[in-house]
Amino acid sequence: MAFSRRGLLAAAAAAPLLMRVEDALAQGIQPKRGGTLNSIVNPEPPVLHVGVNNQAPTLIVGGKIFQGLLRYDAKLNPMPELARRWEVSADGLEYTFHLQENVKFHDGQPMTADDVIFSIMKFHMEVSPRARGVFARIKEGVAVNPTTAKFTLSAPFEPFLLMFDVTVSAIVPKHLFDGQDYRQAPAVSRPVGTGPFKFVEWQRGNFIRLERFADYWKPGQPYLDAIIYRVVPDSQSRRLALESGQVQLTQSNDIEPFDVPQMRARPNLEVKTEGWEYFGPLMWMEFNHRVKPLDDVRVRRALTMAVNRDFIAQRLWFGIGKPATGPFHSATRFYDGTAKSAAFNVEESKKLLDAAGLKPNGQGVRFTIKHMSLPYGEVFTRLGEYLRQSFRQVGVDLQLESVDVGTWAQRTGAWDFDTTINYLYQYGDPTLGVERSYVSTNIKKILFSNVAGYSNPKVDELFTQGRDSADPKVRQAAFSDVQKLLVEEAPLLWLLEMSFPSIYDKKLQNVITSGSGIHACFDDVFLA
Amino acid sequence: MKDFWRNFSRNRGAVVGLVVLVAVLILAVLAPVLYPGSPWDMAGMPFAPPGEEGMLLGTDSLGRDVAAGIAHGARVSLLVGAVSTVAALAIGVSLGAIAGYLGGLVDDLVMRFTEFFQTIPSFVLAILLVAIFTPSIASIVFAIAVVSWPPVARVVRAEFLSLRSREFVQASEVLGKSRLSIVVGDILPNALSPIVVLSSLMVASAILLESALSFLGLGDPNMMSWGFLIGSGRSVIRMAWWMSVFPGIAIFLTVLSLNLVGEGLSDALNPRLARNRGGKP
Amino acid sequence: MELSKLPGYLLGRLVKAAIVILAIVVCNFFLIHAAPGDPASIIAGQSGAADARFLEQLRAQFGLDQPLYVQLWIYLKGVLTLDLGFSHRQQVAVASLLWDRLPATLLLTGAAFVFALSVGVAMGALAALRVGTWGDSIITVLALTFYATPLFWVGLMLVLLFSVTLEWLPSFGMASVGVELHGFAVVLDVAKHLLLPALTLGLFYVAVYARLSRATMLEVADQDFVKTARAKGVPEGRILRRHILRNALLPIITFAGIQAGQLIGGSILVETVFAWPGIGRLAFEALLARDYQVLMGVFFCTSVMVVLFNLITDLLYAVVDPRVEVSA
Repeated sequence: MAFSRRGLLAAAAAAPLLMRVEDALAQGIQPKRGGTLNSIVNPEPPVLHVGVNNQAPTLIVGGKIFQGLLRYDAKLNPMPELARRWEVSADGLEYTFHLQENVKFHDGQPMTADDVIFSIMKFHMEVSPRARGVFARIKEGVAVNPTTAKFTLSAPFEPFLLMFDVTVSAIVPKHLFDGQDYRQAPAVSRPVGTGPFKFVEWQRGNFIRLERFADYWKPGQPYLDAIIYRVVPDSQSRRLALESGQVQLTQSNDIEPFDVPQMRARPNLEVKTEGWEYFGPLMWMEFNHRVKPLDDVRVRRALTMAVNRDFIAQRLWFGIGKPATGPFHSATRFYDGTAKSAAFNVEESKKLLDAAGLKPNGQGVRFTIKHMSLPYGEVFTRLGEYLRQSFRQVGVDLQLESVDVGTWAQRTGAWDFDTTINYLYQYGDPTLGVERSYVSTNIKKILFSNVAGYSNPKVDELFTQGRDSADPKVRQAAFSDVQKLLVEEAPLLWLLEMSFPSIYDKKLQNVITSGSGIHACFDDVFLA
Repeated sequence: MKDFWRNFSRNRGAVVGLVVLVAVLILAVLAPVLYPGSPWDMAGMPFAPPGEEGMLLGTDSLGRDVAAGIAHGARVSLLVGAVSTVAALAIGVSLGAIAGYLGGLVDDLVMRFTEFFQTIPSFVLAILLVAIFTPSIASIVFAIAVVSWPPVARVVRAEFLSLRSREFVQASEVLGKSRLSIVVGDILPNALSPIVVLSSLMVASAILLESALSFLGLGDPNMMSWGFLIGSGRSVIRMAWWMSVFPGIAIFLTVLSLNLVGEGLSDALNPRLARNRGGKP
Repeated sequence: MELSKLPGYLLGRLVKAAIVILAIVVCNFFLIHAAPGDPASIIAGQSGAADARFLEQLRAQFGLDQPLYVQLWIYLKGVLTLDLGFSHRQQVAVASLLWDRLPATLLLTGAAFVFALSVGVAMGALAALRVGTWGDSIITVLALTFYATPLFWVGLMLVLLFSVTLEWLPSFGMASVGVELHGFAVVLDVAKHLLLPALTLGLFYVAVYARLSRATMLEVADQDFVKTARAKGVPEGRILRRHILRNALLPIITFAGIQAGQLIGGSILVETVFAWPGIGRLAFEALLARDYQVLMGVFFCTSVMVVLFNLITDLLYAVVDPRVEVSA
């Protein structure tokens, strides 16, 4: 799991360029040129430019148009993409990327180290808050020569190499952005990247059409002629489209969990839930610690015990995803399986609530709190209803509020809730994706910060230790300690390690080949 | 009164409608007795088909009893229908009466106001209102009332417009009766029959509107209503048809019966027409 | 009516219509802004990461940092020059977004409207002619059934029957993508996609028009001028065409004019179920995403259409019925 620097170097040197194709060859399937892949995009993305917008649909479609320097396998080891190989200096400060030769943008201009430096040091620093947080640590970025880019950090930052996926830092053409307002540049609405597919047409509300880029840097690839993403807002229509063969691939939230068992049963379809390891989405119930009695650790522990997380994984999500064990997704680096949050136990839960001085009244109600359901589809509505009945069993009255996405985002960011549901990507490393939800320095009136308002100096200290150390052993120790501490404190009610089904026609090959799954560039995907 | 019943019962459809409607009302009243406890409780296996697990109409995706949901849902659906209709009538009748009786500039202003409301597609407005005030029983009733009153105002205005020039109104005016007492005492009773007929249809369309809002995920999350049941069953319709079929039938029967009763009322309140028509909407 | 009065009448109506539209624009603006949540916080929210600077950048970009009255003034000025603003979320001018989506909605609602009106009036007339017979009862029951069944439910049932079970018709979209079609094949392809949504949207209104036309025809048939005509010995067919149908059409036209606007609202549900790329679905998506500019554009657009419909209805009314006074 933990990757050492030497291991990285070895992986980089050994990773053969056409490994995935050879895998297919080994199975006796010859890659075949031609054919159009019909898929679905939902919801319709506002723009297709990765970086300017980082919503899932943008990343999925944009991931075919753009590429990053690296990609990652399911164990989060980096693999070459636009970077052919890379070196990390012994002090952990210098990162040197050697780029592929003959890479061209869709407008015919060559991609050079200048574009890489521009993308990292300027473009993503400006448009992407997530990249900004990490790239601010770069002291200097220089193009050593047209195919070599070097970054020097101001202090060692062990998870730095995880930041070069297309979904975080796609390489964009400097000549189309430099000197302009990046968000308003014409290239935002007509994206130009280095990916195997170029943007051709977008009929809003209808479809997005990408076509094969003839000058793609891997000879003979991509195999597909075109990819068409159709906009289908209704989940049952999406399912029908897949069943009737009108589309050959669905991903992300396209197919509702309750439809997946029947998709699995169809002989012509393949259902995969792998390919989300790089993101590590973890779902939890957010407690607002400013609302009594949620500030009481006994109450939070009692509520944790009142919920059967197996039921949620099996009955609500139909086995897509796993019950959460604590604050870390099990695919996230430094996950410690020995730190487990309190198990489902209704009687213990009641005792703990009694001990907290919350006795039931005449109607058997100890206290009433509100719950703002997450407006991300039906399954989350069912989750709210399930939580209400679960809490009801221990005498806690949960009043559901149903809100739209706008209201949810606004109120969650403004701390205007008692409880709600949220899920966050952990991006493979606790420093990148876990820390932000627990440290007191990140208690901000902004979504995806520590909106719960949880504050514990010990937790702050451990996360800082883990962040600042370049030694994976030191980091492991700090993160193990913080996991053990957090499961005792139960600042949030962790529910589910999420995954999303990628469902496709069995004729389609090489769909999920990395830890970022469906976001890959698809240069090796073909229709057998 | 006797005449009323005789005329009403002459329309067989109306009688059937009334029987169904009364049955639905009884179901709503007896729901806590028939299905004690919360309709949200998980009572059995998820997705049990009708008849299995002792569930008359099957269970839903969380193992909740569909029959219990329909019984408890009758309370909410009827309540939403009735309350929002009363509210819409209050707005529509007063505005329509003012416009129709006073005429002239006032009429023009009120009609522009009505037109204004009719110009925004009502369903879009309803969605907007429910979203702004967050989905709850109150915001749903409010939204339905706000989008439902314009037809009432138009009908009432038209009635008043034609009635105010009749002899009996002019007679009252000559007698020096106050405007209010003329409006309430003389004209309104004569304009009552189209209002009564219209209101039965409005209850029906309010129930439909609520189900459509729930279908789009804008229902009250704490209230078991038929709209909610269909909304939650729709996505699993091919796995568990019973989840949306039975609440759908409940809505259909109730809306149908309200329409039939509306026809019966129309016949009974307007016997001259009824004889010629043999029952009309 | 005197034709010389028509231009003045028309002008008066147009001025009124413009005032109504302006009022709608202003009201929409405040109503939509009363909703919690702004587009910046949603985009930040859905991006999975946000910091204060990002939010500020977005708000400044959207003009949300301006005072409300400035935002309103900017919008109004735009509307007067038919510039409906810019959707920062979608990086596209609202007018072009609407322009892209409007034909689909007009096609859908137009088809549904024609279907509903023709079938509805035919059913109503048939029922009125055969009043009291079993034919009348069947039509009445059928109309009631359409009327009492939720719209989206009908849509799902039709999909289940025609797309899933029989596999005759496509279940979503407006055209097949990825196939090259030319000429008549394109029309046929769109028609195939249109059939189920138009049917779904139309059925409810078939019921409405059937009931309405049956009632009005019976009402007219009962009136004195029809009785007089009949007493004079005018043939029944002529009475039906000249007297009954002509007069019965008036309330139907009025009603249809009003309903035309409601059809667009109904198309939200239908467009959602069938993934029809029209403005009804655009409005719902914009509402969920709080894309103010788009939402206001859709409202503006529908308002103009409804006011236009009402205007046309009024004019038709004036032309068809000589008894209606033309007054501005």
